[in-house]
Amino acid sequence: MYLKELTELFGVSGYEKKVREYIREKIKGRVNLIEEDPLGNLIAMKKGRIDKRLLICAHMDEVGFMVSNIEDDGRLSIIPIGGIDPRAIIGKKVIIGEKEIPGIIGFKAIHLQKDEIYEPPKMENIKVDIGVTKKSEAENKVKIGDFVAFSVESKSNERWFSGKALDDRCGCSILMDIIHRDIDLYYDTYFVFSVQEELGLRGAGVSAERIAPDLAIVIETTTSGDNPEFPSDRRSTELGKGPAITFAHSGYVVDERLFRWIINVARENGIPYQIKRRTVGGTDARRIATTLAGIPSAVISIPARYIHSPMSIINLEDYSNTLKLVSILLTKEARL
Amino acid sequence: MKDLVRKLTEINSPSGRESRIREVILEELKNSIDGYEVDKLGNLIVWKNGKSDKKVLLDAHMDEIGVVSSFIDDKGFIRIEAIGGISAYNLIGSRITFPESGIEGVVGIEGETPQDVQKNLKELNFDKIFVDIGARSREEAEKLVPLGTFGVYSAEFVDLGRRIVSKAMDDRIGCAVLIETIKMSNPYYKLYGAFSVQEEMGLVGASVVAFNINPDFAIALDVTAWSDTPKGYKRMSIELGKGPAIKIKDNASISDRDIVERLRNVAEKNGIPYQIEILIFGGTDAAAIQRTSSGIPSGTLSIPCRYVHSPHEMIDIEDAENAVRLLKALVEEER
Repeated sequence: MYLKELTELFGVSGYEKKVREYIREKIKGRVNLIEEDPLGNLIAMKKGRIDKRLLICAHMDEVGFMVSNIEDDGRLSIIPIGGIDPRAIIGKKVIIGEKEIPGIIGFKAIHLQKDEIYEPPKMENIKVDIGVTKKSEAENKVKIGDFVAFSVESKSNERWFSGKALDDRCGCSILMDIIHRDIDLYYDTYFVFSVQEELGLRGAGVSAERIAPDLAIVIETTTSGDNPEFPSDRRSTELGKGPAITFAHSGYVVDERLFRWIINVARENGIPYQIKRRTVGGTDARRIATTLAGIPSAVISIPARYIHSPMSIINLEDYSNTLKLVSILLTKEARL
Repeated sequence: MKDLVRKLTEINSPSGRESRIREVILEELKNSIDGYEVDKLGNLIVWKNGKSDKKVLLDAHMDEIGVVSSFIDDKGFIRIEAIGGISAYNLIGSRITFPESGIEGVVGIEGETPQDVQKNLKELNFDKIFVDIGARSREEAEKLVPLGTFGVYSAEFVDLGRRIVSKAMDDRIGCAVLIETIKMSNPYYKLYGAFSVQEEMGLVGASVVAFNINPDFAIALDVTAWSDTPKGYKRMSIELGKGPAIKIKDNASISDRDIVERLRNVAEKNGIPYQIEILIFGGTDAAAIQRTSSGIPSGTLSIPCRYVHSPHEMIDIEDAENAVRLLKALVEEER
C-alpha cells in the first residue's frame, strides 16, 4: 500500500509529473514494459497467460487550483481545477508551484460577515495569501499558471486512512499493489495511470487507443455520502461495506456482462461488495468505452467520505477487499 | 408498417439493456441482409451489398429512456435514478415495468401534508419520488427488483389512425424506418444499418459504430420536436404529417451540406413531402458519427414526434412511410 506517499505528493490535473515519477520508480523492474504517452499517461504492462489485453486504469491527478492572477497586494487569485466546493476550502493550507511555496486560502473572517455567511463564497472573492505584501514580492515566489494543491499530512490507524487526493491515488495504490503481487494474470494486463480525469476524462482515451484492449476496468475512489445527517436512502455508497460496483454513471451504462461477472466473482469468493446507488459523475470508463470500435468497460470503486475537499477518509477494509476482488478478477477470463 | 412499429415499441429495452430489442430487430431482418455483426458495445450492424464500393451508414438507436433501481427501504419502496433524459414530472402517476423480472410498479411522491405534496410537485426531482411494486418488505422487493435493475415506462401502444402513440417512439420509429428501408431497397451503395446502443446516455454506441465501417457518408434517423400543439415550441416549424424532416442543425451537430441537398433533391425528384428542421436543443447520433476517425460527412433525417421523452410519444405514420421512400430513393440513386 502506497497511500501515504501517494496522497502527500502534489499532482493537480495537468501537473501529474511527481506522481508519475514516484509510481514509475516503484514499479520499474516489476513489469514487462513501461512507457509514458504524449499526454503524460503512464502505461505499464505485465504478461498474462493468453494473448488478449485488459486495461486497468486509475487516474493520477487530483482536484486543486491554478494561479490566475497576482494582485497588487501580493495575494493570488485562483481558479478551480476540477469540481471543488468553495465552502470546503477557506482557511486551508496549500502548496503553490514547483517551488512548493506554502500559502493559506483566505476569506473574510466570520466577525466581518453579515448575511454572506448563508451564501457559499464566490471563487472571485477567495484569495491565496503567501505572506507577502507586494506584487513584486509575490512574483519572486510564484507565477501565473502555477498549480495550487491542498497541503495535508495523511493520518491512519489500523481501520481508517485520511488524507487529500484519495480520489484517485487509492486506485493508483491498488494498481501498484497488484503489480507487486505476483498474480497469475489471465490477460496481458496494461496498467494505465491516467492524467486529467478531473477535467473531463481527458487522458485515458488516448491510452486506450494505443493499447486497443479487449476490455477495461476502471478503479476509482467514489463519493460515499454516509454522513450521519444524510438520509440513508440517498447515500451513494457507505464506508466499510466493501468495493462499490457501478451499474451506470454519467454518460455510460456499464457493460452488463462485466457488471454481473464482477458481482459473481465477489459472491463466489465471499468478498463483501456494494452496488453504487447514485449515477451522477463519470469516470474514465465513459471515455475508454467509446474508443476505437468500442471497449467494454466496468468500474469498481473504493468509497470515500468528503472527496474533492482537502481531506477525505477511507476504510482500510474496503481497500483490502477491493484489492482482493480485483486481484481475483485479473486471474480470470471475463464473461464477454 | 404500423404492425412493425407496434412490435418494436412494445419491447422494453432501456439504454444498456438492449439485448431484447436487438434480438427482435435481427429476427425481423435476417432474411433481408447479406451479413451482420454485434460489436463490442452491443450495437447491431447489418449490411446489404450494393453495386458500388461506396458505403452508406444509416443509424437508428435502439435504446429508450428508463430508470434503474438504486435503493430499497425497509417497507419495500424503491428509489430510482434516471437512465437518459427522463423527467420526474412525467413519472408522477405513471407505471414502471422492470422487464428483467416482469414486475410493475406505481410511481408515488413524498409529502407529509397536502401543502408538502404541492411543494414537492413544484420542485420535483428524483429524491422526492419512489416506485411502489406492492411489496410488503425490503426482502420481498429485493428479490424482485435487486439494486441495478433497469425499468421503463409501462405504457401501451395506441393506434389513433394516422397518428400512433408509444412510450418508445424515440427511437423505435427510427429502427422501423431503417428496417423497412433495408428490406425494400436494392441499394446502389453498400448499405450498412446500425442499430446503436446507449444513445440516451450520450451517443455511446454511435461513437464507435462508424469506426470499422468507415462509411463515405452517414445519416442518423431519429425523432425531432414539434411546434403544432397549443403554445408548442414557437421558434420551430415542424408539424406532424408534413413529411420527414431534413435536419440542418441541432445543439450537437450541423448536418453536412451535401447530405442536406441530396436529401432535398431526392425528395423533390420523387414527389416525397419533407420539412426542413432546425432544432433549438438536443442532438442525434450524427454528432458522434461525424467525429469518428478522420471525419465522416453526416446528417439526420427526423420523424416529427410530439411529447418526446414522455410515456406517450406521438407520430404520424405517413411521416415514417415517407422517410422510408426518401431513404430508399437515396440509397438506390446512382452517382
